[in-house]
Amino acid sequence: MTEPTPLPWPAGSSRSGGASGSVTDGDLLALTATGDTAAFSTLYDRVAPWVFGLVRRILRNPAQSEEVTQEVMLDIWRTATRYDAGRGSAHAWILTIAHRRAVDRVRSEQAAADRTEQVGARSAEVEFDQVADTVSTRLEAEQVRRCLDTLTELQRESIELAYYNGYTYPEVAQQLGAKLPTIKARMRDGLIRLRDCLGTTKGHRP
Amino acid sequence: MTEPTGPTEPDVHTLTGPYVLDALPDDERTRFEAHLAECTFCTTEVAELRAAAVKLATQVSTPPPPALKARVMSAIEDVRQLPPVVDGRPSTGVVRRRFGRRSVFALAAAAAAVALSGGIAIDQYRDRTAAERANQQVAAVLAQPDARTLHGAVQGGGQATVVVSAQADKSVVVLRDLPDLPADHTWQLWMIDRTNTAHSVGLASGDLTHVITGSTTGMTTFGLTIEPEPGSRTPTLPAAAMIRLG
Repeated sequence: MTEPTPLPWPAGSSRSGGASGSVTDGDLLALTATGDTAAFSTLYDRVAPWVFGLVRRILRNPAQSEEVTQEVMLDIWRTATRYDAGRGSAHAWILTIAHRRAVDRVRSEQAAADRTEQVGARSAEVEFDQVADTVSTRLEAEQVRRCLDTLTELQRESIELAYYNGYTYPEVAQQLGAKLPTIKARMRDGLIRLRDCLGTTKGHRP
Repeated sequence: MTEPTGPTEPDVHTLTGPYVLDALPDDERTRFEAHLAECTFCTTEVAELRAAAVKLATQVSTPPPPALKARVMSAIEDVRQLPPVVDGRPSTGVVRRRFGRRSVFALAAAAAAVALSGGIAIDQYRDRTAAERANQQVAAVLAQPDARTLHGAVQGGGQATVVVSAQADKSVVVLRDLPDLPADHTWQLWMIDRTNTAHSVGLASGDLTHVITGSTTGMTTFGLTIEPEPGSRTPTLPAAAMIRLG
């Protein structure tokens, strides 16, 4: 120790800011809701790698992924006025829109056979090289990876097949050769474990 | 709960998992959303599980092609925003609170500063290319004419060294001979700013060399703490090492 008495470090983190007056995604979304294009531009820079990465993982096709990412960003612009901070973070809201759109697209456009083939090519490997080079992303990605490691194999596989590949739970059950109620339950208890590990319980965050 | 899905579905609550993962087939999704509107428990659980599920997106984060942003920014000119919902119903007149240009630019600048205030964690999983890149980054900081080297002892043994360059606006942290931690604990690195706010700049499972690429301006102290896996949002005190950068 270089000092006998530690500095009093108040709450703070690289993402959520604290008393440091940092601008959150929620602030930017609120400004976007007023028609502020500059705020939307900044918000785009922050969230586009998550949106694009997620959409591309689900759709695979780069051109389609760009198209859907554009749709998602325009959706965020259009519906920013409807975002309700009381029902979750701006980040969760945006990624929920992105995930839903990508999944709807993959279900409407890709033949079932096509998607079955993709399972063979499915890789649970994390493409860390492609992770945006910010500490918050890296730190968060690392946390998520460690938390995923705490799940049982069936929990993790169920969640990954649904989230990253856009499968419905009956499809996941078929892939994994498990019963429907088992897969439903594994998805839920896996997410509960993930939630507890990541500390995303409402009101838990300091 | 509505009648059709009522007592016949005893496991309706387990549907929060598949719902949050968008894994319900369309008809079940519609039914569950109807149930959700009446189930406070489910609503809370969905919000919580969703917060966890969206974190999975960090695993696949990929920067989009730069041209996409230009297309989006140009397209929004033609997209009309929905009127805000007031008291549960859309308001008729669109009320726009226009922020002054200055406040917008100040906010954008502040946001940009936040985006840049991080660093890069060097972890074992990174491939050789990344390691080489990191080495170059380390060398670049050390080569700065104004680079200053600061040492500090780590509680329990070991040494922490921070090399700071104001010119490069970067720093390098070197941790050596750290004591072993319990399996479920990790070292966490922090930069503490003038307001005494600690910003996490990475995790370490043992000795490492770590480049902090974010701005060092305004950072007064480097801190090293022992945290439960997978790291904490706020530091657990007392710190294992603290090095004043000033």
